Amino acid sequence: MNIHITGYGLITSIGLNTEENVASLRSLRTGIAKGRLDNTKAYNVGEIHLTNAELKEQFKLQTDGSRTALLGMAAAKQAFEGHVLSDQIRTGLISGTSVGGMDVSEIEYKNYLNESNHNPDNYKHHSSGTSSEQIAQELGISDFVNTISTACSSAANAIMMGARMIKSGTLDRVVVGGTDSLTSFTISGFKSLMIFDDQWCRPFDDTRKGLNLGEGAGFIVLESDKSLEKTGKKPLARLTGWSNASDAFHQTASSPDGHGARLSMNEALRISELQPGDIDYINAHGTATPNNDLSESQAFQGIFGTAIPPFSSTKAYTGHTLAASGGIEAVFAILAIRNGYLYPNLNFKTPIAETGLTPQLDFEEGKNIQHVLSNSFGFGGNNSTIIISAV
Amino acid sequence: MSDLKETLKEQIIEQLNLEDLTPADIQNEAPLFGEGLGLDSIDALEFIVLLEQNYNIKISDPSEGKEIFQSVDSLAAYIEKHQ
Amino acid sequence: MRILGTCKIAESGVFVNGLARQFEVNEDWKKDLYASLNIEYPKFYKMDALAKMAFLGVELLESSCNFDDYSENEIALIFANRYSSYDTDQRFIESYTEKGSPGPSLFVYTLPNILTGELAIRKKWYGENIFFINEKFDAQFFIDQINFYFRKGSKACLCGWVDSANNQEECFLFLVENSIDEISIEELIKSYKQ
Repeated sequence: MNIHITGYGLITSIGLNTEENVASLRSLRTGIAKGRLDNTKAYNVGEIHLTNAELKEQFKLQTDGSRTALLGMAAAKQAFEGHVLSDQIRTGLISGTSVGGMDVSEIEYKNYLNESNHNPDNYKHHSSGTSSEQIAQELGISDFVNTISTACSSAANAIMMGARMIKSGTLDRVVVGGTDSLTSFTISGFKSLMIFDDQWCRPFDDTRKGLNLGEGAGFIVLESDKSLEKTGKKPLARLTGWSNASDAFHQTASSPDGHGARLSMNEALRISELQPGDIDYINAHGTATPNNDLSESQAFQGIFGTAIPPFSSTKAYTGHTLAASGGIEAVFAILAIRNGYLYPNLNFKTPIAETGLTPQLDFEEGKNIQHVLSNSFGFGGNNSTIIISAV
Repeated sequence: MSDLKETLKEQIIEQLNLEDLTPADIQNEAPLFGEGLGLDSIDALEFIVLLEQNYNIKISDPSEGKEIFQSVDSLAAYIEKHQ
Repeated sequence: MRILGTCKIAESGVFVNGLARQFEVNEDWKKDLYASLNIEYPKFYKMDALAKMAFLGVELLESSCNFDDYSENEIALIFANRYSSYDTDQRFIESYTEKGSPGPSLFVYTLPNILTGELAIRKKWYGENIFFINEKFDAQFFIDQINFYFRKGSKACLCGWVDSANNQEECFLFLVENSIDEISIEELIKSYKQ
């Protein structure tokens, strides 16, 4: 039984749609810059320069929601474009998010403290599940809606859960991915962990100091063989591997040797029935924190030995979009397969002393790329890997 | 200086939620991290918050903390020098 | 599938496999319960309410379930709640809006799945773990999820509904083993509602 991918959509700080994202990737144009809003202006962030009202207008959104929900609708709508709802095809939506409608809560909280225009009804957005319900409503999906909150691996886990539901026959078609907006909450949080780089982040570089946050959303559409017969959709790629494993080391830090990362990559390879040597490109988690990149590099060496395929982190383009990253990077993986792209790891100069690995440095196209492995590791030691393959 | 150390011990217990310890359990020269009190990287960040909130001392690079937070002695010496 | 053990902690008391423990669930109940279990794990004090509850629940379950029967990646953790990490979220917001500096140890717990991470660290479990946000405890949902995990090869699933918000706390854990028996939804709901 194949898990076919028949749609994808994304919105990031480097573009509001696929074409804009590809143009930025190709011209090495980052979306990370000094923030333009009150709560972001002190930081380098991957901000999407559209207000909520502009987002609604640009994507003709009918449903109201928090910024997280609106970004999710923008990406999911692109992914689901051309798909038709039908009683014959059980369709679901599974979305990963870490902040949910925190952006709305932050405004309400201030209003409450100032005793001005306080509307407790708005706290309904706070629940992470509300954003998924709203995205599903915008697409008209009602057979199954669920929300996963496992920090930065949320979208990858949503993709994995969707694959399992299709495999078991519980759903025929499912829109899966993740969404997160920038909020004071996450900015303050990562600040408290002192893992921001006040410069442009440098994944896998020896001088890396930390991450830049970003916002965005990425969704893909998965379909079963049976669904494909009915929809007549042309598969764009296949989802062949998925896995989640626990690192069991620390609340936020990865184990030094990348134990959980290794478990996760190994199991995804096993499910896809591929050998490490079959992987043509790795989209790394690569947050540019000293801890993640060393741990992930060592996990690569553990799995691939000295024959590590071209790898890069695209987070120096988009910023770390937290729960959305696995969805956005799944779209990058599909584009890599369909167009033979390899994405450069921006800002890299010096290999990490302990591992000596050099990531992909140039944008390339026309390569023969059959299988892409994509990592997403979350706080809580929640490590996930998905593998996307050519049709 | 000894007053400062006693105050520090109370603040450490409070800030780091070391509920089963009393100030008497923390030796001035004993290592705080590693085997000592079993503190980790998040606790190191809490030390930075503690210094900022109570002593108005800012540390912007967490790697500086390694030396400063070795023991109550080193922490007290750093505060005396920078206040 | 077969339920090997349940643990429920609510205002009404502490129940392990349906039997009430001599224990009063007052304001300090988590600390008191921890003390009564004679465990040496100082990290407990640093956890937020969600992680503390799950931690205690697992310790109580251990009296009737032998987790050592499974190797390190054979137990999947499937958790869910309604309010995510709402309580800690609020405390974290206070740390930077009112107290001036965001608290790192609070921020760490502003994700519900830190709870599953804490359990994994404590027990050295390297299997899958997932955290769902659902409207309410949904027995059918858990059973569906457990079936997925058994199909992929997990030997046991430690499941939990652990929630803390608006001064209401609840913790319901159950351990399920893969076997040919079927669990009835009614049975699961009954244990939960205890």
